[in-house]
Amino acid sequence: MINIDIGATAIAILTLFGIYSLMAISLNLEYGIAGVPNFGQALFVSIGAYTAGITYTRVLPLLAGLESVHPCGPTMGQALQLRSEIMAAQPLAGFINLGLTFLIAAIVSGAVGFAVSYVTLRLKEEWFLALVLLVGGETVRIVVRGADDFICSHNGISGVAQPFYFLRDPHSSSLLFMLLCLALALVAYVYSQRLAHSPYGRMLKGLRENEDVTRGLGKGISLARAQIMLIGSAIAAVGGVLFALNTGFVNTNDYVVNLTLDIWVMVVLGGIGNNRGALLGAALIAILDRFTQVGAIALNMSGSEIEFNYVRFIAFGLILLLMLRYRPTGLLPESRLTTNAHDVVRRAIGASNQPPTPSRHRDGGHPKHQGGGAMRET
Amino acid sequence: MPPALLTTSLVNSIQIGSLYALMALGITLTFSVMKLPNFAHADYFTAGAYAALIVSLSGAQNPIAIMSAAFLVGALTALLSHLAVFKPLESREVSLYTLILASFAVGLIIRYILFTMADYFNLFDLRIGIPLQVLYREGFLILSNIFAWVVPTTIALVILLTLLLNATPLGREMRALANNINLARVIGIPVERVKNSTWLLVGGLAGVAGALWSLQTAVNPLMGWAAIISVFAAAILGGLSSFSGTIIGAYVVAFSENTVILFLNYSFGLDLAYKPAIPFIIIIAVLLIRPGGFTQLLKRGGKLQR
Amino acid sequence: MLLELKHLRKDFGGLRAVDDVSLNVPEGAIIGLIGPNGSGKSTLINLIAGTIDLTAGQVIFAGEDISGLSADAVFHKGIARGYQEPTLYFKMTVLDNLLLPVKGQRGERPWYAPRWSTWQREERAHALAAMEVLRQVQLLPYYDTLASDLSGGQMKLLEIARALMGAPKLLLLDEPTAGVAPKLAYDIFRQIARLRDDHGITLLIVEHRLEILFDFVDYVYVMHLGNLLAGGSAAEISDHATVREVYFGD
Repeated sequence: MINIDIGATAIAILTLFGIYSLMAISLNLEYGIAGVPNFGQALFVSIGAYTAGITYTRVLPLLAGLESVHPCGPTMGQALQLRSEIMAAQPLAGFINLGLTFLIAAIVSGAVGFAVSYVTLRLKEEWFLALVLLVGGETVRIVVRGADDFICSHNGISGVAQPFYFLRDPHSSSLLFMLLCLALALVAYVYSQRLAHSPYGRMLKGLRENEDVTRGLGKGISLARAQIMLIGSAIAAVGGVLFALNTGFVNTNDYVVNLTLDIWVMVVLGGIGNNRGALLGAALIAILDRFTQVGAIALNMSGSEIEFNYVRFIAFGLILLLMLRYRPTGLLPESRLTTNAHDVVRRAIGASNQPPTPSRHRDGGHPKHQGGGAMRET
Repeated sequence: MPPALLTTSLVNSIQIGSLYALMALGITLTFSVMKLPNFAHADYFTAGAYAALIVSLSGAQNPIAIMSAAFLVGALTALLSHLAVFKPLESREVSLYTLILASFAVGLIIRYILFTMADYFNLFDLRIGIPLQVLYREGFLILSNIFAWVVPTTIALVILLTLLLNATPLGREMRALANNINLARVIGIPVERVKNSTWLLVGGLAGVAGALWSLQTAVNPLMGWAAIISVFAAAILGGLSSFSGTIIGAYVVAFSENTVILFLNYSFGLDLAYKPAIPFIIIIAVLLIRPGGFTQLLKRGGKLQR
Repeated sequence: MLLELKHLRKDFGGLRAVDDVSLNVPEGAIIGLIGPNGSGKSTLINLIAGTIDLTAGQVIFAGEDISGLSADAVFHKGIARGYQEPTLYFKMTVLDNLLLPVKGQRGERPWYAPRWSTWQREERAHALAAMEVLRQVQLLPYYDTLASDLSGGQMKLLEIARALMGAPKLLLLDEPTAGVAPKLAYDIFRQIARLRDDHGITLLIVEHRLEILFDFVDYVYVMHLGNLLAGGSAAEISDHATVREVYFGD
């Protein structure tokens, strides 16, 4: 039998929830609010992870006042030991390094997102953007894996320790790391909520619904789209840094299309265009992930020959298809976008007279409008 | 670059280009007729390869039997994914991104069903039991029996497909759908039946390509996904609408991945690890510079062309 | 002249949709643009609004050459447009539809957007302005309704109101009464006339319902097969022999 440590399990799930939330919020801003089909999410997450792989091996020793050791090849073990020693003995160097990692990852990833969005403006068909992002993500991964000195090609870099490693107590260090993940997720959530409920969010939703009309109403849509890609990509990269710290490992194999699809599952499950939905989706997938891991171990121990990890992907595919078909709005449908404007008008009307109850009726005649019935929420 | 290497890489280019062509034609056809960029296409290919492998492991070494099994499995997988997933979504008029996402999900499901199966029956990295033989040797030029299977089969299938598209009622109906599906419906073309036939055809082609692929390389559940970027590059080069453009595109991609990269390696010391970047560069370059691909060069009007 | 078109031309492949069209729209006028289907009226609107690129010719707006500007730049110059089919933001409320086109909103910049205090006062002012516009087109009770829940006629009015929020000098309307009941069509035109009378907006209107249009316009241009066939007052155009021939078939 397996013993499940409830405390450790809860910490693991909540940590994962925080990390997934960052990724899901990022995709929700890009696709849910602005309608940019980012099928290259794994790329932006991986930028964060690779940055961590580089800073923890090259920058950290310098911050600790020591000479860095080449992390790959014959000196691999030596470099790993150096990292552990610094992380254990010099928490300050570790924290400065972490801050730098976040900063560099967010800047690089944001810049890539911004640039991609601008380059692909020339694309003839909208879905080419999806293709470029998908293919770009896969290609970067393969090239990074092929390059020897970057993050040690196939081997990856292990021993990328959590920032609270110096506490020497796995329980409290992982608890603090969990709090860090949750805090960053909270910041991202509040930020994205404020963004969505602003005139900028309104413009992005306009862009999502009808690009041509939005341009015709005087909006510089290319810039608006590039900006949200910048923001979303930066958030994804922060999630990537945490992801790498959580697993303690940077390897290109983690950033395949399946990761992109995982993030899509979260957003589709929770509710496209709803930041709270992104959180819900992240929570559900974090729980599901944890239980698949436990289930896989249990199944293996019971002597079953079925590899549970494969079943996980089949289940994810089915969840996606079922949601798309039967509940395209997700578990938490998109809420109506509001700034303070609606309150202003409500109050102004209330002050002058009692508002007449609007009679709602439709006489059709808007063929461009698709799937509106499902999106409506009163 | 030594001539021996050059000849071998050229032979490889032709062989792999033919397989890319078979797959890319399916993508072009799906996109023209169904307006769907189908990323599950890769996995019809893998399903076909596994069908071929299983038939060959069960003792049948007749290539025709092997390929028929692959065609059948690929075709049925494709049709099933249409009936169970794409058709219901299309009838709800969902956005293109939803369809693309659904195609990813379909691919994921097929891939991991194959993984589960391969894991259970120990079917990882096996090859079809047809031994490699050298059929022809002249100087540096060496042609194997596999080459002799792949290339003529491809040519035959392309000719058959062209005939089907241009000389049969089904082909006419498919082109009508490609041009304007609403018009096709109005003039009484049985749209659903034509779509079903197209799916069968497309999946079958991918399946046969998978079977042929498994003659040259070991079969594993990720093989289709590994090839999909190159295949999309080929279809994009063909402008996603023209048969001849797609075929040229397939050979161009295969040539770049096999011969050009070797040349660059020899002349400029470029690491061969960068080979996967080639289809990406092709896709980006074509989309940015000449979104119509070769089709613009071969333009003759109409949506689905020879 | 507020708007001058000089030898405007548009080719679609081999097809010449607009062929050497020159016309003038004086400030404060309501100008009708009529012609049979496929005569190039909508293309002309698209060319002026920058929705599509022109092949040759010049668009002069308020003395400035704006040919070749993108649609968003044209909007900022003071030209707003409506579409043949209502192209509202159906998944947004009526109020949000009106607020989106307001120019120069601070809260539209991502730097300010999350800091609500930096733009909420401005937003409040815009909301009150939108409220006035909504009151005018009698849509105020529906401010919180999704645009997709409006009736066809209300959608048309909302589209006009939305264009108004960009404070345009010139408004281009493409069949503002298409698919609307006759009585309501007359109402819509009365609203349009008020845009000129109350806001001083110049209007260029493509319309098929000549009997209504002719009651409101100062001048009418007639297009046929991409060419400008005639121009004149409503009365002149009604009596114009060639126009009657191509348009009414007599």
